[in-house]
Amino acid sequence: MLQKNRKITFILAIISAIIGVMLTIQLRSSFHPVHKESRSIAELRASLQKELEKHKNLLADISKYNQLYYQYETSLNEDESLSVMKEELARNRKLAGMVSVEGKGIVLQVVEAALHHAELGHDGEVTEPLVGGYTSDEEDLRWLVNVLFANGAQAVSINGHRMVATTPIRYVGDSIQIDTKTIQPPYELKALGEPEVLLSALKLEGVEENFRMANKEIIAEKREKLIVPAHREQRPIQYMKPVKEKGES
Amino acid sequence: MWLPLIGLIVGIVVGFLLDWRVPQEYSSYLSIALLAGLDTIFGGIRSYLERTFNVRIFMSGFFFNTLFAAGLAFIGGFLGIDLYLAAIVAFGVRLFNNLAVIRRIVLSRWINQQE
Repeated sequence: MLQKNRKITFILAIISAIIGVMLTIQLRSSFHPVHKESRSIAELRASLQKELEKHKNLLADISKYNQLYYQYETSLNEDESLSVMKEELARNRKLAGMVSVEGKGIVLQVVEAALHHAELGHDGEVTEPLVGGYTSDEEDLRWLVNVLFANGAQAVSINGHRMVATTPIRYVGDSIQIDTKTIQPPYELKALGEPEVLLSALKLEGVEENFRMANKEIIAEKREKLIVPAHREQRPIQYMKPVKEKGES
Repeated sequence: MWLPLIGLIVGIVVGFLLDWRVPQEYSSYLSIALLAGLDTIFGGIRSYLERTFNVRIFMSGFFFNTLFAAGLAFIGGFLGIDLYLAAIVAFGVRLFNNLAVIRRIVLSRWINQQE
């Protein structure tokens, strides 16, 4: 009987030892869970690259604002700080499209292909549009402007209407409106920027092919000196108001 | 009666020394197995107090319950059935039942001794 009892306690001890091991493993795993990295190296590298890029941009921003701050600081007398502010204002006006700007760029003319051929003295017959019933091209214009801006155009105007960030291109009635002004074909676009880059971008994005499908042709011209007019539309300020800035000044 | 307690302490020490860790997704299976083990232990104590303890039943109960609980939970995970919930409920209810019976036996014995 004693022999048997001892055996039982021995077995119980072994089982409690097993339970103890399980208990500690469970405790450890719930306190320090094993983390698994599920993203691949390539993904990690890509996100690292993105973050580095962001970091670089932020550093550039910091140095720009530091410079501006330094300028404000160093202009000791009132006049000079005023002039710095005026410069900044002028720069902002230029960025917002409120003044005419000039520089090198390209001029694009969107004309009816048939008309163009007739002018050039080709066979006089009017070619049928490749795509039947395709008349609306405001979407094409929008796309064209987007391509220009995306490839570094500093300022763009259509038939003398300057495009700013809020300028709409809409199809209203039978014609295209920019802001609230109606424009008529042929359309002439002026874009300031590196001419080579803009032209190759147009080719690369397939803009010309797309216009050709609508039986239109783009005649591109490089210009060394190009004037893009200012934005003339008055925009009422309705929903925004300046935030009161806190802190010492 | 001291030997099982020493065994438990030895097991805990060994567990800390081994430094094994279970990945998060398998943690629930280990917890099920642990619950089953605890249930068996308390069932053993209860049957010991009721003087119906059988070492073979106890041993087989311990190993079968732990392995089957974990295994069924694992298969349930494969099939998309939350079998481990069923195991938790079943073993949890049994655990508390066993505890209640043990408490009653111990209390009645203590009252008998007092008288």
